[in-house]
Amino acid sequence: MITAKKKTGLIFFPAYDWEISPSHPERQERLLYTQDQVMEEGVLDIEGITEFKAGLATEKDICRAHFCVPDVESRITPSHNVSAGGCIEAARLVMEGVVDNAFALVRPPGHHAMRVVHGARGFCNINIEAVMIEWIRKNYPHIKKIAVVDTDCHHGDGTQDVYWHDPNVLYISLHQDGRTLYPGSGFPEEFGGPNALGRNLNVPLPPRTSDEGMLYVMEHFVMPVLGEFKPDLIINSAGQDNHYSDPITNMSFTAGGYARLNEMLSPHICVLEGGYSIEAALPYVNTGIILALAGVDYSYIREPDLNPARIKEDPRIIDYIKRLTDTLLDLWNSRDNYEVKGEEIVRRSRNIFYDTDGISENQQESVRVCKNCSGTYKIDSSASTGYHILAVHIPWGACPRCREQGLAWFEKPGRNNYSAVYLQDMDNDEYTVKIP
Amino acid sequence: MIVGIDIGGTHTDAVCIRGRNIIATAKIVTGDDLVQTIRDAIGALSINYAGIRRTVLSTTLSTNAITEKKYAPAGMIVSAGPGIDPRRYFFTDDFHLVKGAIDHRGREYVPIDPAEVTRVADGLKKKGITGVGVVSKFSVRNPSHETSISSLIEKEFEHVSLGHTLSGNLNFPRRIHTTFFNTAVMPVQKRFVQSVRKALAELGIRSPLFFLKADGGTFSDSAADRHPVETILSGPAASMMGGLALCDDLEATTLMLDIGGTTTDIGVLIKGVPVLEPRGVDIGGYKTLVRGIKVMSVGAGGDSRVSLAGQDIRVGPHRDGPPACMGGPSPTPMDALAVLGQFSKGDREKAVRAIAPIAGQLGQDISEVSRRIVSIMIDVIRKSAGEFIDEVNRYPVYTIFEMLHPEVVKPDRVMAIGGPAALLSPFIEESFDMRCAVPDNAMVANAMGAALARTTRQITLTADTQLQRMICPELGLDEKISPTMSMNELKKRGEQALRDNASRLGILDKGEISILEEQVFNIVRGFSTTGKNMRLKLQTKPGVIDEWSEA
Repeated sequence: MITAKKKTGLIFFPAYDWEISPSHPERQERLLYTQDQVMEEGVLDIEGITEFKAGLATEKDICRAHFCVPDVESRITPSHNVSAGGCIEAARLVMEGVVDNAFALVRPPGHHAMRVVHGARGFCNINIEAVMIEWIRKNYPHIKKIAVVDTDCHHGDGTQDVYWHDPNVLYISLHQDGRTLYPGSGFPEEFGGPNALGRNLNVPLPPRTSDEGMLYVMEHFVMPVLGEFKPDLIINSAGQDNHYSDPITNMSFTAGGYARLNEMLSPHICVLEGGYSIEAALPYVNTGIILALAGVDYSYIREPDLNPARIKEDPRIIDYIKRLTDTLLDLWNSRDNYEVKGEEIVRRSRNIFYDTDGISENQQESVRVCKNCSGTYKIDSSASTGYHILAVHIPWGACPRCREQGLAWFEKPGRNNYSAVYLQDMDNDEYTVKIP
Repeated sequence: MIVGIDIGGTHTDAVCIRGRNIIATAKIVTGDDLVQTIRDAIGALSINYAGIRRTVLSTTLSTNAITEKKYAPAGMIVSAGPGIDPRRYFFTDDFHLVKGAIDHRGREYVPIDPAEVTRVADGLKKKGITGVGVVSKFSVRNPSHETSISSLIEKEFEHVSLGHTLSGNLNFPRRIHTTFFNTAVMPVQKRFVQSVRKALAELGIRSPLFFLKADGGTFSDSAADRHPVETILSGPAASMMGGLALCDDLEATTLMLDIGGTTTDIGVLIKGVPVLEPRGVDIGGYKTLVRGIKVMSVGAGGDSRVSLAGQDIRVGPHRDGPPACMGGPSPTPMDALAVLGQFSKGDREKAVRAIAPIAGQLGQDISEVSRRIVSIMIDVIRKSAGEFIDEVNRYPVYTIFEMLHPEVVKPDRVMAIGGPAALLSPFIEESFDMRCAVPDNAMVANAMGAALARTTRQITLTADTQLQRMICPELGLDEKISPTMSMNELKKRGEQALRDNASRLGILDKGEISILEEQVFNIVRGFSTTGKNMRLKLQTKPGVIDEWSEA
């Protein structure tokens, strides 16, 4: 009989009846072998590890994190309600103290979904972590500061986007260098919006980084930063495609490395993201993460075909990572030196491509520079689908001036041919859509 | 005629049934010699033995052997490969870890080392061990390591139990426990079956002999010889099956209460089918793969001790002895019923004397206090029943369809059996706000359950068309299949296998084959479908035998 040191909740939702298409990596079979491994290892019989049923995220939950165009219903399938609902359930278990930590082993994933949603990007429609985080903030207002550590191999450009302007959510992404992998972003200079400088930290790792390099970054960069940020809650976006066997990436991480990472990070909530080596990686990585969360010895969890010598990184990779870490630390330490001066509104313009659905979007974003709150912002977004919308976000704890500005943007959109104008008012928990 | 005997810890019930008629019933005190108890129980029925064509036993033999650790020393040879350290599941020095690794799809990564296995077996033999259990991880996906180890050692031991034959379900630690217990209780069970056969023959009973299993089904004596571990916890199964046999509404969701002296057993029947433990039953603090009816036992029965904690009346969880009105030491709910004039067999004066001090301390009328005692006892049961139902409704689901169409279990009615059931029924109706049926013959419901339970078996088939392999662990099948095999073909193969092996599996009456689980996954590699992974669980349906339910 094995007893866990920490009470760990597991929400397992493999969505055995959902796929993007029959041969897509995001298909029914994805978590089948993980379930087999977890069952065969008897993980759920460990005293302290308990499986719970997923829940269903509501439209209201989703609208706290997203502007779905034209509406939520047309952008998601019930599978997304369940995978986001699974995350919410994991959060509820932690927040109510039923468990010490929880792992939402759900699909479909979410970290490529941005604040505005015209379609699916990188297999993601809605950002399941963001939906969960906003649910936590709504229901547990004492949770002020949240850190998301994203260990998926792909840069979580969606989570970065949702929290770009939010100084209370620290987003750290460790991923394969965007010059070599989708979505091509995630560089150190993407450092957060004008009101949230230093709250967005990207660690682009060179291809073939293995356990040593990844754990070096964890120990010398992620953990010290978290130590200074002092989050009330830590979330791991636990993508598993850094694994040496993953078919669509080029890294060399192992199940043991993932377990060690989670032991070090000790997150309150883990959320499964990507990871498509469904037979050779996921069964072992997920088992390792669950055991690490529960504080159970994971040292015997190993891939049957593991050959440590073959995946050991070149010393030059380690040198590169050490230099990168130093640079990132300097950047982090100087975060207070950066300041936007003399401007009330900062604008940016960008193009976003939805690879899964083949949609392109153009965004004009305006944010109010504010010392008293996270700052209200608006997004003018037009997509190749024909929709042209305006989305206004009034953040949690908005100061009176930002609230006034946000409401003014919503009331007077400035042009009258938007297909719809949206308002997300966090403090009042209101989501309003106006069709001119 | 069918004879059913339920040997309980204190009492043994026997019943003789013909068609839909109960010919005779008997209740005797269980003696130390179980074979003699069986002889006495059959004798007490006073029936003509020549007409018996089926005898079914529910015994505490294997349950007690395990919980009291009265079993033969058994050896275990376990191969695991990477994963949680299996040595954490070893509980005697005779468990041995050997080389060998198989993955989740049944592919071999590390072969077994015959020399190592032989060395371990020699060591066990030198210690005088006669039975060995063999378990490998993922043996239900590829039993070859278990079977090769077995063929290396089987000549050296009286019996060898293989993990994959005991259950087709995944769960390596439970497989280790289940196989160990099966090996350890086998000599006890074999001796018992032999003695019972002899005793029945001496009485002139030549009917086939069956044993009740934890899942509320029966199997033949020869199957029980090989899989004795499946007879654990057949007592609670007998009472749930008895309730099912006596149930007059098979469409309802019924909350079953078996109210005894010390405890009340809670179970649920959904449309005539008992709710099972999802992963297997627990025994003696160990988790097993033995399929069993989900039963929650709560320490509130007719003889539970009634005490005061401050101003609060407590019922149970302990029993000091019989009720005060029957000469026992402490006040009990039965005494409260005696005070209220409901339990006329007891001495009301003694009951009043036992409850009076409590009423005195509370400064309340003794009838009022008696009513409270009964209602508190029912409250304890109702609370546990609520937890039971919540647990069942928390069973996770894995498809969007089930998430969007949840089947919420909500009982429509209560059925109570056991000694105090009839007296408590009006109180239960009031507290649960539901009809509470107490069937006739509720006193021998357990024996009825044993007598009338169908034979049941479950088999698991996993077919991997990419690897061109089909495994059915319970039957030891490991077959090459066509890369184009379909789910329909797999179903046909499974049904055929179930029929072909009926007698080996201990199925003797005609049983309806039903599908428990069916899943098909496309195996996609490099963006094209390379095969199908199909999983199928078939069973002969649990329930009561046709003569009873159709008559």
